Amino acid sequence: MNNSDYITIAALNQYSYCPHRCWRMFCAGEFRDNHYTLDGTNLHERVHTLGEGNREEMWQVRAIWLKSEQYQLIGKADLIESVEGEVYPIEYKRGKKGEWDNDELQVCAQALCLEEMMGKTIERGYVYYAQTRRRQAVEITEELRQEAIATLEAISNLLQTGTMPPPIYTKRCRGCSLFHQCLPQAADKVKRYQEAS
Amino acid sequence: MGTVYITQDDCFIGKTDERLNIRANKQKLLDVPLINIEGVVIMGRATVSPAVVTELLNRHIPLSFLTTTGRYLGRLEPELTKNIFVRKAQWQAAGETEKSLHLVRGFIRGKLKNYRTALLRKQRERTDGNFQTATDRLKQILSSLTSTATIDSLRGLEGAGSAAYFQCFDALIRSEGFRFEARRRRPPTDPVNALLSLGYSLLSHDIQSAVNIVGFDPYLGYLHVERYGRPSLALDLMEEFRPIVVDAMVLNAINNRIITPADFTTEPISNAVSLTPEALRTFLRLYEQKKQSNFTHPVMGKKCTYQESFEIQGRLMAKYLMEEIEQYPPLVLK
Ligand code: SF4
Repeated sequence: MNNSDYITIAALNQYSYCPHRCWRMFCAGEFRDNHYTLDGTNLHERVHTLGEGNREEMWQVRAIWLKSEQYQLIGKADLIESVEGEVYPIEYKRGKKGEWDNDELQVCAQALCLEEMMGKTIERGYVYYAQTRRRQAVEITEELRQEAIATLEAISNLLQTGTMPPPIYTKRCRGCSLFHQCLPQAADKVKRYQEAS
Repeated sequence: MGTVYITQDDCFIGKTDERLNIRANKQKLLDVPLINIEGVVIMGRATVSPAVVTELLNRHIPLSFLTTTGRYLGRLEPELTKNIFVRKAQWQAAGETEKSLHLVRGFIRGKLKNYRTALLRKQRERTDGNFQTATDRLKQILSSLTSTATIDSLRGLEGAGSAAYFQCFDALIRSEGFRFEARRRRPPTDPVNALLSLGYSLLSHDIQSAVNIVGFDPYLGYLHVERYGRPSLALDLMEEFRPIVVDAMVLNAINNRIITPADFTTEPISNAVSLTPEALRTFLRLYEQKKQSNFTHPVMGKKCTYQESFEIQGRLMAKYLMEEIEQYPPLVLK
């Protein structure tokens, strides 16, 4: 099996944040850690090394690989829990809930994989925000599914063609670790620029 | 953040924990955290420990080898970014294409405009020197750039423009004991040429790093053609920076007598001129200061250091090649 043909679950998050960022990371292979992503990685490492554990009527599996053939999707889940027969994924996030809902998409993608792997319907998942120590429920609604599937199609298209979505300057750019590589304002600035004679 | 220059012969460069340390004659010369290092330049002989080599590669810190006089020998190249799209665009524009012509014009225009600005400024500052002929000539060459349609003829214009500028260079020097007749390289046999050559060498190390970071193949250039082992694209991008970074700092060093004629030694037979070890350290410090000094980038409208501007220009070049922007704006300072 060639993993590179699969879409990584993390790409969904990136794509919904900014398609150009997704292109830079997954097509152009550019990735420079800033402290946000580094913190994120450390947290993930911790979650990923805890291994498997059991507690009373609930079981938990940590750091498990998820995969879906149907959606050509692969990725690691931080935590899968089961309580009274209901199974759900929990995604760990540094910080608190952001302004955009890309974390929900990621949970939904994990749910799509779990459904295929376990042959059962997943109705909800959670995002755990380390800063607020809160779990936020994510209902896997039909609408969210459709959004996730549409995003997956867009990413798959991006990975196959390599066509660069243009950078578009928004307020998200300021928190983007690729800002200095991307220079999203360059096109506008060059257009208005008058070179000294 | 900065570049570590190692000028003392027979140093040992080792690593303890997250720090780079340099020793010679059983003495510790330097101990810096690796996190603060952007590049390492070894001038002369040094032993680099295998652990340092691995660490530099892992951290994407380039290491260049120069002779004590600053001639470029080669470098340890960290893995380049995997941006095949930038490379593809770079290769597609190779040869005599619309894009390569545009870029070559940009590099030359940037350099010549910066030359002209330097002369005009001097002209205003003083009454004795007369640069009128040269600035007129530069203006005339600049205006014929757009109508020149082959890279070879553009190269010719670049040569003519540089000649006009260097004819005035002696008049820019206002310090007893320094003269400039003409540009001489390999080896430079007078102090001014020695300083210029050394400065250009250091600059080329930095520009090559910038070009690498962006994802280019540094060996495929447009103005400079491929020759084995020559970082042609870095040399291309360097043109616009020569006057504003190197020439400016060399003139500053001489005219403010930070470097004096007594700081040079001449080799017998070859007549190659070089700095004394102590003056070399002074020069490197000046160069580092220049790189870290701030200015407002004319296109981006933001403050940046010269060091950062190397990468910005590289990124703008990539954007032009990938058709994100319609033209490449060379760094032209007012
Ligand atoms: S800086 Fe802005 S446009 Fe560029 S990748 Fe980041 S979010 Fe996207």
